[in-house]
Amino acid sequence: MPFARWARPIRRRDILIAGAGVAAFATLGPARALAAAWDRLPAARALLGDAEPETAGINLDLPLISEDGSSVTVGVAVDSPMTSVDYVRSIHLFAERNPSPEVLAADFTPLVGRAELTTRVRLNESQTVIAIARTSTGRVLAAARNIRVTISGCLVRADTYDSEADLNTRVRVSSPARRGAPAEVLTLINHPMETGLRVDDAGDPVPERIIRRFDAHLNGEAVMSARLYRSLAANPYLRFFVAPDAPGKLRLTWTEDTGRTAEAEAPVRLA
Amino acid sequence: MTVKLDRRRALALIGAAGTAATLPAWGFPRVAKAASGRVVVVGGGFGGATAAKYVKRWNPDIDVTLIEPAERFYTCPFSNLYLGGLREFESIGHDYDELRETYGVTVLHTWADDVDPEAKVVRTRDGAAIAYDKLVLSPGVDMHWGALDGYDETAAEMAPHAWKAGPQTRLLKSQLEAMADGGLFILAAPANPYRCPPGPYERVAMIAHYFKTHKPRSKILLLDAKDSFSKQPLFMDGWQSEYGDMIEWVSLSNDGKVVRVDADALEVETEFGNRHKADVLNVVPPQKAGFIAERAGITDASGWVPVKPATFESAMVDDIYAVGDATIAAPMPKSGFCANTQAKVVAAVIVAELAGREPPSPSWANTCYSLIAPGYGISVAGVYHVADGRIAEVEGAGGVSPREAPAAFREREARFGAAWYAAISNDTWGTTGA
Ligand SMILES: Cc1cc2nc3c(=O)[nH]c(=O)nc-3n(C[C@H](O)[C@H](O)[C@H](O)COP(=O)(O)OP(=O)(O)OC[C@H]3O[C@@H](n4cnc5c(N)ncnc54)[C@H](O)[C@@H]3O)c2cc1C
Repeated sequence: MPFARWARPIRRRDILIAGAGVAAFATLGPARALAAAWDRLPAARALLGDAEPETAGINLDLPLISEDGSSVTVGVAVDSPMTSVDYVRSIHLFAERNPSPEVLAADFTPLVGRAELTTRVRLNESQTVIAIARTSTGRVLAAARNIRVTISGCLVRADTYDSEADLNTRVRVSSPARRGAPAEVLTLINHPMETGLRVDDAGDPVPERIIRRFDAHLNGEAVMSARLYRSLAANPYLRFFVAPDAPGKLRLTWTEDTGRTAEAEAPVRLA
Repeated sequence: MTVKLDRRRALALIGAAGTAATLPAWGFPRVAKAASGRVVVVGGGFGGATAAKYVKRWNPDIDVTLIEPAERFYTCPFSNLYLGGLREFESIGHDYDELRETYGVTVLHTWADDVDPEAKVVRTRDGAAIAYDKLVLSPGVDMHWGALDGYDETAAEMAPHAWKAGPQTRLLKSQLEAMADGGLFILAAPANPYRCPPGPYERVAMIAHYFKTHKPRSKILLLDAKDSFSKQPLFMDGWQSEYGDMIEWVSLSNDGKVVRVDADALEVETEFGNRHKADVLNVVPPQKAGFIAERAGITDASGWVPVKPATFESAMVDDIYAVGDATIAAPMPKSGFCANTQAKVVAAVIVAELAGREPPSPSWANTCYSLIAPGYGISVAGVYHVADGRIAEVEGAGGVSPREAPAAFREREARFGAAWYAAISNDTWGTTGA
């Protein structure tokens, strides 16, 4: 059974982290039970420095179980006034047990208006997903959640990347009710996000090919940018916000590791 | 109702006295005392009817009450064949005569409205309070109304889901029959998990068969909230070889996810704002466990029922067991076949526990047959067990139909599928649905 674009097929044997987490929940509450998650992961710990992150005011949303680890929707939301002096500067996502745990690192400007980000992640196996946020005032926040990954017996997968659509982009921007209110931006680019870790049917390694970077500008001003990693699901999908002061044009740019870029533009209107 | 029940209980007691000496040869040594008890089963579908029957089969001394509103149950399996014009609707209907007459199950045709796990009582819609020692819930799925913008019960009268067999299935069939040749049929398929992973893909094949034979200029658009699906290469090969370009599948990443339904206009809108107008619109919405599971307090935030893997007892409430589509049993799919084998395991667990014995250690099996055209069947099979405290697929035990196979192979699988339907119906309700 070919497991699309990932090195190891998902092991059908379950990893017991989720179970252990649930047991601990009962006595310690979710925050402390999973606190060790960011201490276990050097990349996450490095981001936090010496700080003990706050665990209130950040919400990490993902399903408890996913029947298809190749694309799992994950959302992060942080309580923040999002003013020019106090805003969430970055959100980082990690998948602890993936071959490379980094999923995405997004940098925001106050122009996003709302500190919220949704994307789709590849999960190699059952594990803990970690989100870390840093604010312009020096606060750090962190959240972690367990997820169990199974493959349903009726869900025998196919390697379905549609190469004809390669680098097609889509974007949809909602109309904000008033000036300065956040509008929702949905965007997707058709791209295989080849990890470089998988072999093709003939047994030859498939070279790495991923989108490294995403940039969003409103009327030439940076709204947000993101570094994308191998653990982001194929066909990178992002949902974020923009709070326009005036109508204009949102310009989105994706940059591949080859240097190739793709662009999309969408008008931003005020309702 | 209560009177009837009491009479049944009395009969069951007489039955107990009468059969105490005859030990059935079903494998569990029987302990004469303390082996009886009261079992209530909610739902007379694949899971519930099987559970009721097998508890009785393995220990007739146990008093079993089945609560199911329908007097005749229509199966989702093979309802796609009805849509394709290959089966009569009545051929997928089954009644409860065998359970009642052969096995002595008390069948109450009403809804279970509430469960009190403290008092161990089920309350029915017609006012009865039925006490249990062990409760089995197999309520199947409820549509998660409102989870998809614009799709509620009223909308389903115009754009049917037909994801529970019955009036909805007949409505969809009559709409297909009323549609002019050259029309567009749209099916919106949900994200996982949902009832019957291959169901939408078999459905479009069966409707394509109906179009090919009656309305050959018509088209089918399958808008999907997923990037891949069950038996995908086999389905796609079959669609192509049997129906050419009639079926177009639009994946999640190609903007296939429907986010809004306008049932009056038979129009859907996708995530990135594309609108599609149908002549016949079939919306399969997100689902959750049947409402009684929530009333019993056994669902989690996902809307489904977590269970202890080895016994399918609720992970949250003692002495309540759940089987079938309502449960979180992944990697087992939400299929009638799984509901049936899960129910047999639960029956064995309950019979053992009421007798004060250790429950046997389980394994389960599943095969999902799908029909692409008359004489063109495909399948995927799996065997499951408990490993490291979780349900897991037994490596190397399952399999899927080969991609390259001669017509005779597909033909054989179509026959196996029909035989499977007759066998599982017979196992569950004692009728084969001829
Ligand atoms: C189009 C389609 C095709 C399918 N094809 C196949 C196939 O080929 N093979 C296969 O294995 N599976 C197939 N399935 C899946 C199969 O239908 C389900 O997995 C199966 O019905 C699950 O059994 P269950 O007992 O959980 O629920 P159900 O069979 O739905 O039974 C639930 C019963 O509970 C009753 N109920 C609910 N709530 C209450 C209450 N509060 N009080 C009393 N009664 C209640 C309902 O009336 C219903 O009769 C298909 C499904 C669809 C939609």
